[in-house]
Amino acid sequence: MFRNCAIIGCGQTKHSSRRRDVSVAELVGQAVDAALLDAGITMKDVGCVVSGNMQGFGGVAQPDLWIGDWMGIPGKPAIRIATGGTTGGSVGQGACYTVASGMYDISLGVAWEKHSDSKEAGATTGLMHVGMGNLFHALTYGLSLKNLIATTAVGAAAGVAVYQARFYMNRSGCRQEHLDMVAAKARRNAAKNPYAHLQWPNCQPSDIAKTELIAFPFRYGHVCPASDGASAIVVAEEKTARKLCKQPAWFLGMGSYSDEENQLQSENYGGVGVIDPSEQMGCRVSAQKAYAMAGITDPQKEIDLAEIYQPFPSQELIFSERLGLFDDGTAWRHMEKGETDINGRMPISVSGGVNATNAIGSSALQRILEAALQVQGKAGEHQVPKKVRKAVAHGWGGVTNYITVTVLGNSPR
Amino acid sequence: MEQKTGVIVVNGLPIVQAQFSWSVGSQMQSFLKALANKKFLASKCPECGYVYAPPRNTCHRCYKKMGEKDLVELSGKGVLLGWTVAYVELDGKGNFVDLKKPKIIGALRLDGANSTIFMPLEADARDLKAGMKMALEWNSETKGGWKDINYFKPAR
Amino acid sequence: MPYLKDERPATMMVEGDWQVGAYRYKAPRLLEEFSAGMKEKKIIGSMCMGCGKVITQPRNICGRCHRRMEGRRVLSDWGTITCFVTSPPVEKGRYKIFGMDPVDTGTLKLGEILIPVFVRFDGSDSNINCLLLNAKPEEVFIGMRVKAVWAKELKGAMSDLEGVEPIREK
Repeated sequence: MFRNCAIIGCGQTKHSSRRRDVSVAELVGQAVDAALLDAGITMKDVGCVVSGNMQGFGGVAQPDLWIGDWMGIPGKPAIRIATGGTTGGSVGQGACYTVASGMYDISLGVAWEKHSDSKEAGATTGLMHVGMGNLFHALTYGLSLKNLIATTAVGAAAGVAVYQARFYMNRSGCRQEHLDMVAAKARRNAAKNPYAHLQWPNCQPSDIAKTELIAFPFRYGHVCPASDGASAIVVAEEKTARKLCKQPAWFLGMGSYSDEENQLQSENYGGVGVIDPSEQMGCRVSAQKAYAMAGITDPQKEIDLAEIYQPFPSQELIFSERLGLFDDGTAWRHMEKGETDINGRMPISVSGGVNATNAIGSSALQRILEAALQVQGKAGEHQVPKKVRKAVAHGWGGVTNYITVTVLGNSPR
Repeated sequence: MEQKTGVIVVNGLPIVQAQFSWSVGSQMQSFLKALANKKFLASKCPECGYVYAPPRNTCHRCYKKMGEKDLVELSGKGVLLGWTVAYVELDGKGNFVDLKKPKIIGALRLDGANSTIFMPLEADARDLKAGMKMALEWNSETKGGWKDINYFKPAR
Repeated sequence: MPYLKDERPATMMVEGDWQVGAYRYKAPRLLEEFSAGMKEKKIIGSMCMGCGKVITQPRNICGRCHRRMEGRRVLSDWGTITCFVTSPPVEKGRYKIFGMDPVDTGTLKLGEILIPVFVRFDGSDSNINCLLLNAKPEEVFIGMRVKAVWAKELKGAMSDLEGVEPIREK
């Protein structure tokens, strides 16, 4: 199928709400330098650079033109990937494709986001870019302002996620306090991760429950931040990986599925064919493809750790079921018992996940990066105590319709 | 029911703007602040000697890191490499506007720098020749920003 | 909130804007059919001749079959709630649209509770996202039967469908 390749180096910057000490180019440069140092190579050894971010949020169109020098592009082929929230996941898989195909021996994957460059707080500016065309179209046909505000602004911090959470809670019995538990776990774990954004040592569900309600079931304490940060990975083919790295994180399987739009309105304000946004058929199919490639038949037993893309706590539960880690409708029960903690049976998002750190372009790449760190045993304070043989990294993007699933392991296929 | 074919044109509303304020980083900040003192700074790579104007924090040839200690001051004079003359500009609403006085943009290599910089020129385009010496004309009021540089004109 | 702080010196900023409205989009005429239907209190959906799926508001391509959705159906204006979200009571300054506060402009009332719902009108395979009117938040449940609420004056615009309300007749 494809030749074996592995992640031999990882680099991240500290993520925070305002990295105004650097320009976005310098921020990306920090992550690239860290990854090259970790891999023990220089930019001269890199064959190809795959990069990505969501340009509307930081206001730099065609960022490779400016940031290219800091990414190390001169003299090399450069590919830019943007797939919404899962940009980082596609970048990671893209870096793997360039090596696995035999075209290059070493590739660099780099993804970032700098929200603080937009005047409006958080991700508002970027979302404006995403929704404007659609909105003007609907206003031409007399969409009422009240309807617009109520249906989008009420869930604005969350968009489809708030409806998705309601669907999940209705069919599984999960309650709002379970969302508090997941959000508290994310912030607690993030305090052990030096690069994460929302670090709250010893955060408890009762702390989260005290925060104000946005729209039931989401509270302010549940929502992910808008972070500034960058991350980078170095991917190498088998011989090079064995020579340079003691414990590479091998790519065992990859899957990606683009479903039809499945929330609120589609482009042109048309309807969407998916009734239940928590169904996530795309995730089920991607996971199946990735597991088949990795030779995994029973994910509940064979997967040791999962890094799930969960800007909202409900999504950790929904996607963990869709990735086959728990039976349908039971994820919240397992989480309640502590099975998804750092020292649990099925640790999930032990880095804090996207719920604690969300620099959009970089987030899904961080899932692959964190899974790699765990396989390599280099995660420091948030390293899980058990041996990690196989880990799964997941990303979702667009209107929850782009999914990437990557399986990494401690020995090659 | 009749099926409609063809397209309609939907105009974006003019009131909507996405606003940005990009952080410049420490090297560029030193550069912009020095303009207030009529100083044009550049950064010199301590490893390979390549000089960038304006300054940056990573050398693109040898990837050596540069900081405040690597900043050098340039004289503000340079050599004209090439230029172009613009007769129209955009009005921000999708229309071309004829310029009463054409704008000239020049590519310059400043003395002491290896990189190229693009700057507005004040000259009669017919007098320009590649290789001629140009000099920076400062604004009468320099506050520490790009507006402190008026233009470059032929050096006497 | 007691998050760990990360403080660094901020450098200067350069400002600019991106004219997000400076575009002239081209869109298919599907919404025109839908709004024309609104004037006659008709909710129109498009049907895929491959899988039989009916979607409203109408779309031109079926996402799974990749066929044109050439069929048209008029759906019932009775439906079922498949999802709902309740907002906390509206406060000034909480929502902003195009730089204006909807409480100031009178679009929303202070203290109002908004209930956006997903409604599957009978005959459709998709949801329409709209407001639930004339109902208390405590009485809403998934599976509740509702019917369309039409504006008093029908203009042939999307706002003609003001929302849905619970069916209370026996």
